[in-house]
Amino acid sequence: MSNSLEIVIGVIQVLVLMALSPLMTGIMRKTKARTQKRMGASIFQPYYDMAKLMRKDEVVSDQSSWIFRCTPWVNFVAIGTAAFFIPVFLSHSPFGLVGDLLLIVGLFGLARFFTMLAGLDTSSTFGGIGSSREMMISTLLEPALFLAIFVVALTYGGTNLSTIIETASNSSLLPHPQLIFAAIAMFVIILGETGRLPFGNHATHLELTMVHEAMVLEYSGKSLALIEWSQSIKQIMLFALIANIFVPWGISSSISVSTLGFGLVTFIIKISAFAVFVAFLESSIAKWRLFRVPDLIAVAIASSLVGLVLYYL
Amino acid sequence: MIENLILFQIVVSLFLGGAILGLISRNSRFARPMIFIPSMIGSIFTIIFSVDVIMAKPLSWIIPNMLPFFNLEIFVDGISAFFMLMIGIVSFAVSLYSLGYSKEYETKKRISFFGFLFNTFILSMILVAGTNNGFFFLMFWELMSLTSFFLVIYDHDKEENVKSGMTYLVMTHFGTAFIFISFLLGYLQTGSFSFDSFRTSSPSFPHLIKDLIFVSAFVGFGTKAGIVPLHTWLPKAHPSAPSNVSALMSAVMIKMGIYGIIRTVFDFAGFGASPDYSWWGILMVIAGSASALIGILYAVVERDIKRTLAFSSIENIGIIILGLGLSIVFASYHLHALSILALVASMYHAINHAFFKGLLFMGAGSVVYATHTKDIEKLGGLVKQMPWTSMLFLIGAVSIAGLPPFNGFVSEWLGLQAILSSSQIPSTILQISIAFASLPFALTIGLAAATFVRLFAMTFLSKTRSMHILHIREVPRNMIAGMAILASVCILFGIVPFLGISLLSTAFHLTSQPTSPFDAITLKNNGTTSFANLSMPVVAIMLSAVALAVFGFIRVIGGKTTKTIYGTWDCGFGKLTERMEYTATSLSQPIRVVFKSLFKSHNEINTEFFVQTNPYLVKTMKFNSTTKNIFEENLYTPITSSTLFILDKIRKIQTGKINSYLLYIMLTIILLLIFVRLSHV
Repeated sequence: MSNSLEIVIGVIQVLVLMALSPLMTGIMRKTKARTQKRMGASIFQPYYDMAKLMRKDEVVSDQSSWIFRCTPWVNFVAIGTAAFFIPVFLSHSPFGLVGDLLLIVGLFGLARFFTMLAGLDTSSTFGGIGSSREMMISTLLEPALFLAIFVVALTYGGTNLSTIIETASNSSLLPHPQLIFAAIAMFVIILGETGRLPFGNHATHLELTMVHEAMVLEYSGKSLALIEWSQSIKQIMLFALIANIFVPWGISSSISVSTLGFGLVTFIIKISAFAVFVAFLESSIAKWRLFRVPDLIAVAIASSLVGLVLYYL
Repeated sequence: MIENLILFQIVVSLFLGGAILGLISRNSRFARPMIFIPSMIGSIFTIIFSVDVIMAKPLSWIIPNMLPFFNLEIFVDGISAFFMLMIGIVSFAVSLYSLGYSKEYETKKRISFFGFLFNTFILSMILVAGTNNGFFFLMFWELMSLTSFFLVIYDHDKEENVKSGMTYLVMTHFGTAFIFISFLLGYLQTGSFSFDSFRTSSPSFPHLIKDLIFVSAFVGFGTKAGIVPLHTWLPKAHPSAPSNVSALMSAVMIKMGIYGIIRTVFDFAGFGASPDYSWWGILMVIAGSASALIGILYAVVERDIKRTLAFSSIENIGIIILGLGLSIVFASYHLHALSILALVASMYHAINHAFFKGLLFMGAGSVVYATHTKDIEKLGGLVKQMPWTSMLFLIGAVSIAGLPPFNGFVSEWLGLQAILSSSQIPSTILQISIAFASLPFALTIGLAAATFVRLFAMTFLSKTRSMHILHIREVPRNMIAGMAILASVCILFGIVPFLGISLLSTAFHLTSQPTSPFDAITLKNNGTTSFANLSMPVVAIMLSAVALAVFGFIRVIGGKTTKTIYGTWDCGFGKLTERMEYTATSLSQPIRVVFKSLFKSHNEINTEFFVQTNPYLVKTMKFNSTTKNIFEENLYTPITSSTLFILDKIRKIQTGKINSYLLYIMLTIILLLIFVRLSHV
């Protein structure tokens, strides 16, 4: 009985993530607008955009193949499935038995693999430049991400997210020193994975700055809606991960309405705060030259390595 | 249950039959069926035989005095049978594929000779895995090397192929020499070449001898497997061979090197569970991670489709060696369960690599068959003309990139978990160094994805880059069927890892992990919490459930919309041509810049002006980018040139005058007499 209840709550968590994800994008856009002394669109604008896009007709390039057409779906399915393994407001999940942190990384990889292919499929030079840059950035992010996972997994005894979050929420408020380094690394990785500044810029369509936007430039209508949605789900998942691993306060460890409600509220506050912080950061720094990006990733790698050595010593 | 000896004899006689039929077939109409149908049936029997051995009992068969003083001993246990199963599945698919593929050679070349070599090559690999005597092992090993050498130079009208064949021949004999040293050391200790005697008496060998046996076997077998820096033959020989042969070489032949290392380490180098032996594992971890990273770094900038695959074989061998090394380290610290985890990861990757690399080489072969070019800069847009090949190649590419829900992901997941488990080794230095070794491993996984995005996209996607491939057609059905077999095995081993893992644990007599196909792979902490779980069947179900749900959701919300086909956006400047597209070289340019110290890439821009004094009116512009192979340049070139220098000096004693030869003979006799006199004092 409790197991099926857990499954229901697990599915609700996924739906919460999917439903809240455009809101985070909206909050970030609003924050950026306000820091630039603009009014900005409403924080619900991404919802309107998506609903409109879904009803629009599509234009598909005559050079493209079935790869281009199935990529939005592969993207959404891979990222949507990965969302099942992210704890949102309940620390343990029945889906924890199915997959772990490394599976999430793998599913993100699958989505990215197809996005890069789609970028090259239309024979547009924009797609090529995007895929080429994404190839470099994602390649370099991989070891940084794995090392950060390494530190977290060793500290909290597993790559299984239920184990990680449960141990984290039970441990004392004083963080382990190695976790601070892992959190720094994870923060840089999240900026890179979501294509935020200084890696890429969501707000422009200039070939100098774009990475992800360039790959999906040819999409329109339903496909574009799917791509944008899955991108924002990925973003909220990463926010949820960093929030719940490093700041596990408020997450519910038992199934009762009050703790779950409290968990949901604290979750929304946590990730909104994180989103506002990232948006502020984006407003205060410029896009880095592409070949300076490896330096930043090297900082993430070095930070994880320091964390590892601290764990073992 | 048929006696497995009879099955084994059937296997041997079918391949022998195929070889002989190949020779007598000449170039008749029936040449191809006469060559490849026996090898297909032989492969089926190999599969049946090896499954029988794994499930039932090992085969032991001795023919006394087959050659004077040497008994031919055949002993097939689970480990051998595991490798035979790999050979069987891959060679079945490759034989089916070859029925169509070798049609190309029918008009140009003597296909009968090819058939003889092809069948003998597969048979020699089976015998290498099955033999239980050092002398015969070396004989079959040599047979395997020579047949593959002749297959590499099968297209010998291209001078390049002969050159790479020669590199292969030299390197493989370099390796064989070390294997011979290893066996000779065992012989000196036991007085017999039989592996049985090595097995029984190796625990009592002196420690130094054990170390020597291990090191020489590692160098010898490592040459065959393609470990950096002994890999130099691999990216030359594999692309030169006909594609069906490269599929066999890359998928299974280099695994014979892995087989040799496993046999030596766990069977007759007298490995003992004590930290004294942990350096064997460390050596393998270092060699493995270096091979993985360097292999994939060269793959990501390569332009030749088959050479990219060959470099990626070096990478995957690196991952396998890394897993084996971890397994040895764990075993030497009595961490039995972890040692099994690492061994399973490594062997699972070995069999997975056999499947997807066989598939990818066959796919590359199909591309070459249809377009007659291996240069991915000249390809592109094949997805429309070759829908089946491109889809199957994509399955292989996603599998090798280690993405779920395909088989490569499962073995790399196990490998990463094995690395994470290194925290249980009771030695801080080892813990930290293995953690640092995970850095190249993770980078390798990232680069592998980039490599195969680039390879697939440049070959199959976007606009065609050269005119002549506009009119190509899809390859014949039996070639597609051959690829489809391996592609479905890739999917099967990805979604139901239970199959592979239970096969492995039965073959290697390990304590099995999952008990039913739907059980998750579970790693436990010391307490009750679980360290990690993975249940691929459920992941597959979830993927399809999410797909259905989102499809329904979008249909309901979005309603019906239409799709318009229109040209790619060209910023309003008019027609995009294939010359404006991203090329393979430009696609990997950022990676080339980041790792520039390894590639030593050199760019050259030659500009010609209409008027020399005016730099604004450019007539032509040529861009030339070269990358260097630092191993060739810094390691092999000095060795070969100094060897040639010494040999050149030695040649001077060959004067051709009879007087000087008589002098040499006299000098030798005097020296020998002195030697004899001295040794009797």
